[in-house]
Amino acid sequence: MQNDEADQWGAWMAAAQGGHGGTYRRLLGEIRTWLLRYFARRLPPAQVEDAVQETLIAIHEKRHTYDPARPFRPWLAAVARYKWIDRLRAMGRDRTEELPDAIGVEGHESEVTSAVLLRDLIARLKPAQQQAIRLVKLDGYSVEEASARTGQSPSLVKVNIHRGLKQLAVIVQEVPDDE
Amino acid sequence: MTSERLLDELASGLTPVRCRSAGRDGLIVGGLAVSELTLFLMMGLARPDMHHAMGEMSFWWKLATLGLLTVLAVTTAVRSFDPAVSPSRGLRWAAALAVIALLIGWGIDASHHASRPLLARLEWREGVNCLAWMVLLSLPMLAALAVLMRRGAPTHRRGSAMAAGLGAAAWGAFVFFFACGHDDPLYIVFWYGLGCVLVGLAGRTLLPFVARW
Repeated sequence: MQNDEADQWGAWMAAAQGGHGGTYRRLLGEIRTWLLRYFARRLPPAQVEDAVQETLIAIHEKRHTYDPARPFRPWLAAVARYKWIDRLRAMGRDRTEELPDAIGVEGHESEVTSAVLLRDLIARLKPAQQQAIRLVKLDGYSVEEASARTGQSPSLVKVNIHRGLKQLAVIVQEVPDDE
Repeated sequence: MTSERLLDELASGLTPVRCRSAGRDGLIVGGLAVSELTLFLMMGLARPDMHHAMGEMSFWWKLATLGLLTVLAVTTAVRSFDPAVSPSRGLRWAAALAVIALLIGWGIDASHHASRPLLARLEWREGVNCLAWMVLLSLPMLAALAVLMRRGAPTHRRGSAMAAGLGAAAWGAFVFFFACGHDDPLYIVFWYGLGCVLVGLAGRTLLPFVARW
């Protein structure tokens, strides 16, 4: 994001806080484009649109927490990251969800970036958690198949996925946002 | 729903909002604190030997520790209700302050109170009474911080909740300090510490649910 653009968004948000609907609509449109790019690098493609909409609603509901005297970009990035972490936690709770096959297909730049980013983050977990998450969440194996491949019991695979994704959310919260 | 339709709906129903301000939140919390302390003292609950107690080093140790911890934790909590502000640094400072306070307390204890048996110094019956008072006195602050947290947008909910719980606990202990006739550092560390841990954990456990957004 360019600094001028960020400054302009801050001014637009200040106008929106005053009730200017037209300016707000324009701002949300531009933020939506930014969010699409943001989540495309961090989530499976099937979840991107939902994450964008959730974040837009959160921005709307919490718009009073933006201080017009301060830069807009850190505020926006913090809200987006919060929603990203929410999504990661939800992935941990929903054990049946798998990343679609489209990840890794040639020409799907955002899907590849998303997978690479996730794999980099996963590499910071314990080996057993890494194995379970890679097999079930990234490679599409069932819990039983992952259990047979890793030698972990099915319930241990589930526990490792759950704890790993929880830890992932903590890691994400601690690393600075470079978007 | 498509994103375009969502954007249209959000923009069409737009109403003016009053911006959140950490300074205003601080004033609300400060006002509540002054009111609670004034009410508590007006009820005649202050210790009768206050003048004598002021000559004890442990009196000032207790006052400074609880006062600083309250200010630090509450400021950390209120600031962290802004989505772009993390409570981590404030919590680290609070932990450092607690360690320094313990060391100073140990020093005071070694020079004054070390002769009595440890269990006798804890005075269980009075200690439980003190604990109940501290918890009770921390509730208004905890409730106020919960409301402010819900109105804000904390992105580190657990850390914010921990800071809020700790701030409320330290405040409850600070108010009770004016009524508590005990100056033994061991008694203070044990019972006041227990009160802070209990309320801090309650805040850490409950507030993240209150402030989910």
